[in-house]
Amino acid sequence: MIDSPISRMLGLRYPVFQGGMAWISDGRLAAAVSEAGGLGIISAMNAEAGYLKEQIALARSLTDKPFGVNIMLMSPHVEEVAKTVIEEKVPAVTTGAGSAGKYIPLWKEAGIRVFPVVASVASAKMAERAGADAVIAEGQESGGHIGEMTTMALVPQVCDAVSIPVLAAGGIADGRGMAAALMLGACGVQMGTRFLVATECGVHQNYKDMVLRATDISTVTTGRRFGGNTCRGIKNPFTREFLRVEYEPTTTAEDVANLGAGALRRAAVMGDVKTGSVLAGQIAGMVKEEMPAADILREVCEGCEALLGKGSSWVK
Amino acid sequence: MVLEKVKEMLADKLGMSPDEITEDAKFVDLGLDSLDIAEMLMNTEDAFGVSVEPDASLTTVGALVEKIESLMGDQ
Repeated sequence: MIDSPISRMLGLRYPVFQGGMAWISDGRLAAAVSEAGGLGIISAMNAEAGYLKEQIALARSLTDKPFGVNIMLMSPHVEEVAKTVIEEKVPAVTTGAGSAGKYIPLWKEAGIRVFPVVASVASAKMAERAGADAVIAEGQESGGHIGEMTTMALVPQVCDAVSIPVLAAGGIADGRGMAAALMLGACGVQMGTRFLVATECGVHQNYKDMVLRATDISTVTTGRRFGGNTCRGIKNPFTREFLRVEYEPTTTAEDVANLGAGALRRAAVMGDVKTGSVLAGQIAGMVKEEMPAADILREVCEGCEALLGKGSSWVK
Repeated sequence: MVLEKVKEMLADKLGMSPDEITEDAKFVDLGLDSLDIAEMLMNTEDAFGVSVEPDASLTTVGALVEKIESLMGDQ
């Protein structure tokens, strides 16, 4: 068993979070991960509070274990979903796409553990100062919205800069990645891409198939030109058209921001993996089998334990 | 037969229909970079049992097909 402050803080068997993926991480997936001993996370995405309440009720009907909610701070409904997690007494919140400072005191007062996703040392320090319980340092290997730093370079620098626990995210899908993250100073990991193909993940089968068929070089980033909108996904006609338009001389930052509108839903819900956005991380090339969330967690954590147990063999 | 298979492999990789890929299509226009082409060459090895070395003159679908056919003819 891996003993981690994150597991102790939340009462988890495994110090593994399931990434909050918009249009994908629903109550069913979160419940499956939590029931198996990790921290399942519901994505509040850009939806109204009603959607979140439904998903929380669904998760609670499937598990008694703790789960979290991911709040995208740029959501037009952020104010109401920030209140919903308090009313619903959700034990953990992860945040993305912005600074959570404004909400952290309210959540802390309600006894909610807060885990901002950060992509730089400065953001990690700001999160710590605002009262975060831990940070999730996410490298650009991840799928979806990303920063510039890689997990390998970001995690140890964040660990040095803050005194709260750090989870690593980005490019982790098996025991090797988890063991490496712990060696970099993290005390837990968050995985998104690996859980995309969990049996309990309701994303469209076409989307799962794209992940299962991906190779190491299948993903590409779009939206880098003007910054702030960088997104990683699997190369397809959508990414090719996006990049063509993005680098046309007359294209503006606003045009780029609008290019992706509705594209994730088209792929994840409708299964249109040609004109839709198939967000996934660089580790997709290693994700080859659909299996229950419980098996994923067991495989990753047992693999990690075995490797850490052998770690001393390097030292003579 | 080689052309059909190569078009199918490219279509699969690019998420396109094989009909959208012509013999004179340039890899660069299809959005393939040098890493993608290297991956294609390794896959052709599995598909046709011949080793195609990276070569700067292999810029089109047709050129790759021709190269594979000539290597297969040598066997």
